[in-house]
This record gives sequence, C-alpha cells and structure tokens, in this order.
Amino acid sequence: MAIAIEVETARGAGHIDHGGHGHSEHPPTSTGLDSRKMLMWLFLASDCMFFGTLISTYMIYRNRAIELGTPPYPNEIFDIPYTSVSAFVLLMSSLTMVLALSAIQRGDHRGLRIWIAATALLGAIFVGGQFFEFTEFTHEGLGLSTSVFGASFFVLTGFHGAHVTIGVVWLLSILFISLRGGMPAEKAVDVEIAGLYWHFVDIVWIVIFTLVYLIPYADGPEGVVEEAPHAFLRLVTVGERFLAALPF
Amino acid sequence: MASIAQPQIQAPTLPKPQAEESGLWSWLTTVDHKRIAKMYGISAFLFFLLGGLEALLIRAQLSRPENNVVDAQRYSELFTIHGTTMIFLVVMPLSVAFFNLVVPLQIGARDVAFPRLNAFSYWTFLAGALILYIPVLFSLPGIFAHAAAVAWSNILGSPLLNGVQPWFDANLPFATVVPDQGWYGYAPLTESLFSGREIDFWALSLQVLGVASMAGAFNFIVTIINMRAPGMSMMRMPMFTWSTLIVSILIVLAFPAITIALVLLTFDRLGGTMFYRAFSLTDGTLVTAGGDPMLWQHLFWIFGHPEVYILILPAFGLVNEIIPVFSRKPLFGYAVMVYATAAIAFLGFGVWVHHMFTTGIGPTPVAAFSASTMLIAIPTGVKILNWTATMWGGSLQFTTAMLFAVGLVSQFVIGGLSGVMHAVVPVDTHHNDSYFVVAHFHYVLFGGSIFALIGGLFYYWPKVFGKMLDERLGKIQFWLQFAGFNLTFFPMHFLGLAGMPRRYSTYSFESGWWFWNIIASIGALMIAASVLIFLINVTRTTRFGRQAEANPWDGSTLEWAIPSPPPVYNFRITPLVTHRDQLWHDKYDRVQESAGRPDQVADTIVAIDQLPERSPVGVAVAEAEAEEGHIHLPNPSYYPLLLSIGLFLLAFGILVNNPHIQLGFFGIPIISAFGFLLLVTALYGWSFEPAG
Repeated sequence: MAIAIEVETARGAGHIDHGGHGHSEHPPTSTGLDSRKMLMWLFLASDCMFFGTLISTYMIYRNRAIELGTPPYPNEIFDIPYTSVSAFVLLMSSLTMVLALSAIQRGDHRGLRIWIAATALLGAIFVGGQFFEFTEFTHEGLGLSTSVFGASFFVLTGFHGAHVTIGVVWLLSILFISLRGGMPAEKAVDVEIAGLYWHFVDIVWIVIFTLVYLIPYADGPEGVVEEAPHAFLRLVTVGERFLAALPF
Repeated sequence: MASIAQPQIQAPTLPKPQAEESGLWSWLTTVDHKRIAKMYGISAFLFFLLGGLEALLIRAQLSRPENNVVDAQRYSELFTIHGTTMIFLVVMPLSVAFFNLVVPLQIGARDVAFPRLNAFSYWTFLAGALILYIPVLFSLPGIFAHAAAVAWSNILGSPLLNGVQPWFDANLPFATVVPDQGWYGYAPLTESLFSGREIDFWALSLQVLGVASMAGAFNFIVTIINMRAPGMSMMRMPMFTWSTLIVSILIVLAFPAITIALVLLTFDRLGGTMFYRAFSLTDGTLVTAGGDPMLWQHLFWIFGHPEVYILILPAFGLVNEIIPVFSRKPLFGYAVMVYATAAIAFLGFGVWVHHMFTTGIGPTPVAAFSASTMLIAIPTGVKILNWTATMWGGSLQFTTAMLFAVGLVSQFVIGGLSGVMHAVVPVDTHHNDSYFVVAHFHYVLFGGSIFALIGGLFYYWPKVFGKMLDERLGKIQFWLQFAGFNLTFFPMHFLGLAGMPRRYSTYSFESGWWFWNIIASIGALMIAASVLIFLINVTRTTRFGRQAEANPWDGSTLEWAIPSPPPVYNFRITPLVTHRDQLWHDKYDRVQESAGRPDQVADTIVAIDQLPERSPVGVAVAEAEAEEGHIHLPNPSYYPLLLSIGLFLLAFGILVNNPHIQLGFFGIPIISAFGFLLLVTALYGWSFEPAG
C-alpha cells in the first residue's frame, strides 16, 4: 500500500512517496521513480556515448576504401533493400515489446508471453539476418582486415548486433520466468526496463542504418562494378549456401 | 518545523545484525558501503605505496647524470606503471572510498541504491588492478635488487655491477610483460609492430577498471538522486555529495570513449584491423593501411580530459567540507560552487584537443580549443575565490585536515596557472613533452588531489575507525610533505624551460640539468618520509588513539550526527532535513532562537542529543522494524565476487597461453570460456537472489 506523506519544511513542501513499511519490495525514493529504471536510463546515456564513439569512427573511415582504392567498396556490397527488410523487422519488434508491456500491466500473462516471444523472435531474425549479411560480405572479400572501412563497419554493426543478442537472451529469460509463474503484474517494471533497453537498441539501429547504408557513397575508382543483387534472390542464395554447408 | 508531531518510539532490543559478523567470508560477501569504503581505501593506499616506490626509483635514476640504477627499458616501465597506478589505482579508488563512506551518510541513507553492484565495483576494481600488477609484482623485486647493487657500487666504489646484465627480467614469469608505452598509450607505439603482450595487459586492465568505475558511477548517481532523506532538496545537499554526483556523471559519459578506443586497439592487435595504423608491413614493404594514429589521440583525450576532472573534483568536494568546518562559517557562495562544479564538468568535454596542440591539427581547432581551455579557468577561479571568502573573517582552526585543504588551494593555484599557460598555444608548443608539463600535472594531481585526499583521511578517520589520528604527527607530516612536494616539483618548471624532455631515462652532465634533478630527488625522499610518518601515525592511532566522539570537529552535515564508527544501519530513524548545514542549524540557530526565553534554552540543549530530527517516513519504517524485531538491511551476497572473478578470468585467458576451444572461426581460450560461464552463472544467480 502506497501512502503519501506531506512534509512541511522551512523552505517549502516536499512530497514523498513511500511504499509502506520496511518489508516492501521497493523502498521509498526521493523522486518517486523506480531506482532500477533510473539505472537503465543512465546506462542508456552511457551507451549513447559507446555508440557515438563507434559511429564517429565509422564516419571518419566510411570513404577510406574508396579513397585508397582497396575494394570491395560500399556501393558494391551494401544491399539496401535487404537491410531495409531486416531494419523493418527490428522496428516491428518495438511494437511487440510495447504490446508485451501493456499486457503484463493489465495482468494478461498469456499476452505477455506471446508478445515477448514475438519480440525475441523478431530480434533473432534480425541477428540471423546480420549473420548472413556478414557471411555474404566476407564471401565478397570484405573482412576485418581488408580496409578500415570494413573494420569500422564490422565493429560498429557487430557491437549493435551484440546488443540485440543480449536483448534476445534477456527477453527469453523473462519468458522463462513468466512461464514458471514468476512474473506477476507488480513486477511489470522488470519488463519495462527490458523494454527501455530494447527500444534504445532499435533507435540506435535507425541512426546506424541511416548513416551507414542510406547516405550515398561515391563509386569506387573503377566505377560501378556490379549491381547489388536483389534482396530476395540474395536470401535464396544465402539459403542455398546454408543448406549446402549442412553436413547431411 | 517544531510543529511536526514526533511519535516517541523506544528502540527495540535488536538481534545482532548479520553484516556485523567478522571473518573473511563476511568481508568477501559484504554489501555494506562502509566496509566497501574501507576495502577501497586500503587497496588504494597499498597502490599509493607501490606507485610511490616506482616514483622513488625514477627519482633515484634521475638523481645524477648518466646514472644506471635502471636501464632505459626498465625506466619506461616505471613511468608507465607509476602514471597508470596513481591515476587509476590510487586517486580514483581513494575518491571512490570517500564516495562510499560519505555519500550515504551525508544524505541520510542506510546504504547505496544498489549494494550488490557496489560490492561488484570493488571486486572488479581489484580484478583490473591485479591484471596490471601481476607483471609488475614479478619484476619490481628484480628492479630493486638491481637498484641496490648500483647503490652498493656507487657508495663503496666496488664494481659489483661490471658486466652484469639485467639478470632479473627474462627468467621470471610475466616479468617481460610490464607495460612500457606511457600512461596514454599513443598509437602506433601500442600497435603489434612495435610492442608485445604488455600492451594487452595494460589495455585489458583498463577495460576491467572501466567496468568497475562505471558500475560505481551509475550507483552513486541513482543513490544521490533517489536516496536522499526527506527534506534534502538538491540545493540542500552537502558539497561533497554534489561533487560525487557530478564526477559520476563525468565517469558515465567519459569512460565509453576509452572503452571503445581500447576495443579498437585490441582489434588492431588481435584481430588484424588497422584503426590506428597508417601503414602496415607487408613482405618487407610499407603499405598504406588507411588507419590514423590521430584517432587514438582524439578518443583517448575525449576520455582523458574529463578524467582529470574525475581526479580533481572529489578532492574539491572534500575541501568544500573541510574549509567551512574549520573556518566555523558556512561555505561562501554554495549555489555558485554547485554551478562552478557543473560548469567545469561541462566544459571538460570540450577541451580535449589542448593535449594535441603540437600534432599539426591546424589553426582553427587549435584556436577554438585554446579559447575553451581558458574558459575553464573561470569556474575554477570561482572555486578558489569561494574558499578564500569562506576563510575570510572565520575563526580558523589549523588542524591537519585544514592544513591539507589550504595546501590544496595554494598548490592547485600554481598548477592551475601553469595550466592556463598551456592554453596559450605558442607557450604550449614550447613546453610540450618537457618537464614543465610534468611539473604542471603533479601540482594539480599531487598538490591538488593527493593533498585533499590525505586531508580527507584526517577529517574522516574518526568517523570510519572511531579513533582520532595524532594531530602533532599529522602536522609534521603536512609540513614535510608540503616542503618535499615543492622541492620535488617546483624545480621541474626550470628543468622544462631549460629543455629537459620528459620520459628520457637519463641525461648528460653537459646538459646542466643535474642540479635541479638532485634537488628534486631529495624532495622525493622528503615526501617518502612524510608518508612514513603517516604510517606511523596510523599504527599508533590504531593502538593508542583517543576514542572519537560522534562529531569531533563540530561538523554541520548528517554524517556527524551518528556515532563514530557508524552503526551498520547508519541511521536508526531516517532524519528530516530542513537546512543546508543541518547540525549547525539545530545546534546554534535554535539556541539563538530561544535565547530570548532562557527557560527554554535548557530544553533546546537537551534536544541536541536527539539530533538530527526524525522524519515521519523514517519513524514509520522504524516502527515497522520494531514490530518485526529486526532492522531492514541488504543481505550479504557472494555473487558480486563471483561475477568479478568471471570477468577477471575472461580477460586473463586472453593474456596468457592456454589451450583454445575452436568454435567456427573463433578460437576461445579455455580460461576465458570458463570465466564467461562463471560470469553468466553469477549474473543469473544475482538476478534471482532476493535483494533483501
């Protein structure tokens, strides 16, 4: 039971929200905000600086392969339709995340499980898509040590992919806890904190997608070497290669 | 205020609280902020002694021209380790020790917001320090043996050393992996072309230390914003708490830059990338690689300049506590002091290029960063003015703590002035990489940070340990340290202007630098003697020290309202804050208010024993606890320690030779894999453990 106590002070009134006695799950806080939620916001502030540093590095090096004439060049390998699809998948996962939080806040456990599973699945599809993209780029000759363009691309998008992977593991943990009956509506803030993280990772992808893929690059010194393959064809190729790689 | 009804409750007979238990296990699993403060303080002080020994070896080598106490390689290792130690293993953790000790007490809280995260910060700090110090501890004895042999042959004239090779290094494990590239690790010196395993030790150590710092910083921001006692608005917070808040924000925003910089460096060294490599060596020819060593400098100093404020602002915070108490006056210009601290932190992010004026970066950035650097002198000058104005007309008490605080004000002004000189680009170009710079940053970091931190030790010692440090020995220590410090570092200004470059292991007699160098070395011995006096003081105090009362200095902030040392729960009943200098208000203003009615004075003085006033919330919690029969405290936990061990093994596996598990493209060292498993296990155990 939350009770509010007005404290008259010499300089004015302060309002304190206080969650009952010492046994309560969340002790009273000065601002009334949940401390763990505040911790997540602060972590995201610092994560902005992590991504900011990596994005700056990429922006410095994005044209280096073209300038030095060390192929493959961005226009040859980036496939905007393909990456648009996976970006769309990731953005949709923010919607399902919102629905999951809304479900648990209403005490709808089935809704929580469905939408959390959907979010984790969409996230996993994105990570899988990125894995295939990386494999493709490697086949086309872009490695970590090919050029600083390649290095900064892989480290930036890989760092983001690691964030999504951690998010997927987190969401699956929530799903598991909920299936074990450990996620009552009073613990909706646990889902909300995971949601904050998830939305942040999505927003960062919008920035990365714009700066890395959408802003045009000059062609390489030899001009346009080949048209980027159609996204669908590419998926089929990747699928075939994947099947071919299976040991049976 | 007096109108608030105060329910009188009897303190119940309490079972002995869990965290009061002694023994090794209770320390390993503790989440008590006061115990963590002690562990931080003791570790930092041990590293202070080691960093001091390294400094003494440096001064021994430089005490005369063409000396051979250490060779050039050993010398490079010594200045690298000395710098890294003093910054990351001494000033930062010692500041964090004070954050831990003081902040929850000053804001009237029972602990920090995340007690287990706090324990994790400490153990991770220790893990990072160990990664750096495992190689150092293996090589220091050899260096000392060599130095002793040189001293022997110098004094007795017997050529004990003729033909003796540096026998101490190669045979011991780890002794060849002591970092030697300088504390800011400029590329391309750190690239694999020019260096070995030692850079990986240094880089991963800083990574782990960064995790510890950031975890601590998150914790303190949330604690300060969310755990304040009722009535303590932001502008009623003690200045040390303000400093902690602002420093924590700096850590949270500045550390990512170096973390990423080190990640990129590690990729360059282990993953074949070329972020900092302009050229690579292929089949004996240099090929343009496309990377840029300047990227390292930018990323490092975007972290590195806020870092110097991370080092000095806690010291300023301590001085803000000490000077008003021993001037018997509230701090002059409290609000302006808060704004000045915030302004320094904000501007600190916009000045990093002044470390790079001589890189040929071009006139526009140089002019812009020169101007922004000069701007910082304004809020800093405001602070100096406020301290002076606080002392002005006060009844000054020159206790040891006050001497050290005033020592900071005077020494920091000297360091600050040479800092403004460096903002002037032509002057900076002349001073760059000379001993003038060495003099400058020792004036701000030793004359600034270390002086205030030692002052803070004298000020808070009674609160932590319940014993008063000896004032007579303290004053001898101060004057010896003050004289030794100036003798060591002031001549370095002359040496720098005379052209002596930093980081050279020796110099010729003809250079004419020997005179001020021998003076500086004598000064270093005086500093060492002063630290020895402090150790004697601590030993004596522990044995025979006078018992401290709750408020031995008549301080004005909440930490002085509770017994020394504080009980494990800090405040039995959460206090109610109505004024900035709460205890002074309660003690003096109230007596003054009732002065017109002498019959009430006695009552008021009786009320002083019950300071501070109780908050209704605190009373409600305490009443509930009385019913339950125990005081609500966070439970001890071993998961923070396990998580830190996991992190340590994860990093350590990358550094030492051990079998790899092949997983697709990646070979994963078996120690790292084990560390990762431990880390994940601890993380899940932590998440499912009731926080208590």
